[in-house]
Amino acid sequence: MDVNYDDIKIGDAIPSYTTGPITRTHLVRYAGASGDFNPLHHDESFAKMVGLDSVIAHGMLIMGIAGEAITAWVENKYLRKMSVRFLSMTEPVDWNDVENTKNRATITVNGKVVKKYEENGEKRIHCSIVAKDALGSRKLDGFFIVALP
Amino acid sequence: MADRSKVGMEFPTYTITVEKNKIAEFAMAVALKEEKEGINPIYYDEASAKKAGYQGITIPPTFLTSFAFWTGNGLQEIVKALGIDLNRLLHSEEEYEYYGNIYAGDTITRKMKVVEMFERGKRDRVGRFVEVTILETEVINQRGELVAKVRSAMMER
Repeated sequence: MDVNYDDIKIGDAIPSYTTGPITRTHLVRYAGASGDFNPLHHDESFAKMVGLDSVIAHGMLIMGIAGEAITAWVENKYLRKMSVRFLSMTEPVDWNDVENTKNRATITVNGKVVKKYEENGEKRIHCSIVAKDALGSRKLDGFFIVALP
Repeated sequence: MADRSKVGMEFPTYTITVEKNKIAEFAMAVALKEEKEGINPIYYDEASAKKAGYQGITIPPTFLTSFAFWTGNGLQEIVKALGIDLNRLLHSEEEYEYYGNIYAGDTITRKMKVVEMFERGKRDRVGRFVEVTILETEVINQRGELVAKVRSAMMER
C-alpha cells in the first residue's frame, strides 16, 4: 500500500477519513491515555462554571484523529512534520438527543498535496490538512510533511 | 494572566520510560476504538511493527504531547509556573518535527522552555483579546539523540 513519490501529483487529495461521533467516554479514554486531565474535558460542572454548555473534546484528540488520517495513508515512519491550529471547540454527542448532536461530534479529515520537493536527501511532500465536523465547522487546519520512497 | 517575566524560563528536565501498554491505550484513544484489534498493529505487536520496518512497537504521531502530562506535575506544574489561569486556558496550536522514531522501552528526556509570550487582539474587544504562551520541547532518547521537537501555543481567553 506504500504511497510513492513519483505517483503523487500536486493537488492530489489525501483519502478522506471520518470518525464515528465522539462521546464523553472517548474524552475520558483520551484523558487517561494522554494524561491531560484538564476538567474542561470531563467535568460538566467545571465546563459550565467557565461559561461553556458542555464538556469539550481535547484539541489534541482532534489532532490525534488527524494523525490517524495521515498514517492511514502513509506509514508513520515517513512523517517529518505536523503542524495545526485549533479553530473551534468540539462538543461530544448527547445520548439523550443523538439526532441533533451527532453531527457536531463527527469529525472528517481531508487534505491535499501542496508541494513536492527534495530536502535532506529525501523526497518530501507538503500537504494541507483540515478537520471539520459534519455541520461544516472547522476544528483545526494546518499541514504535514512526509518523506516518501 | 501569564507572567511575562517567564519568557526564556526552562522547566526542570524530566525522564520517562515509554510503556508498551500506554502506547496501545493512546492509539485506541485517538482511533476511537475499544479494543487493540481495531488499531494499527505497529502500536501493540512487535512482530508486525518489525515487518512494517520499525525497530519495535512505535508511537502514534501525537503521543509526544503526553510526555509533558506524564512527567513532573503535568499541566498543573506548567500553569502554576507561568501564572496561567486554568479557567481561561485553551490550547491553540501544536507542531511536531520528527527526526527519528520512538519505540516502546525507550527512555525519553523532555526539555521544555518558554520561548515567547505575547498578546493578540485588542484589549477593548471582549472575547477577541488573548494572551499567548509558546512552549518548545526537545525530546531526546536514551542515546542522546534528538528524536523530535514539540512547539505548543496556549492561550488565555
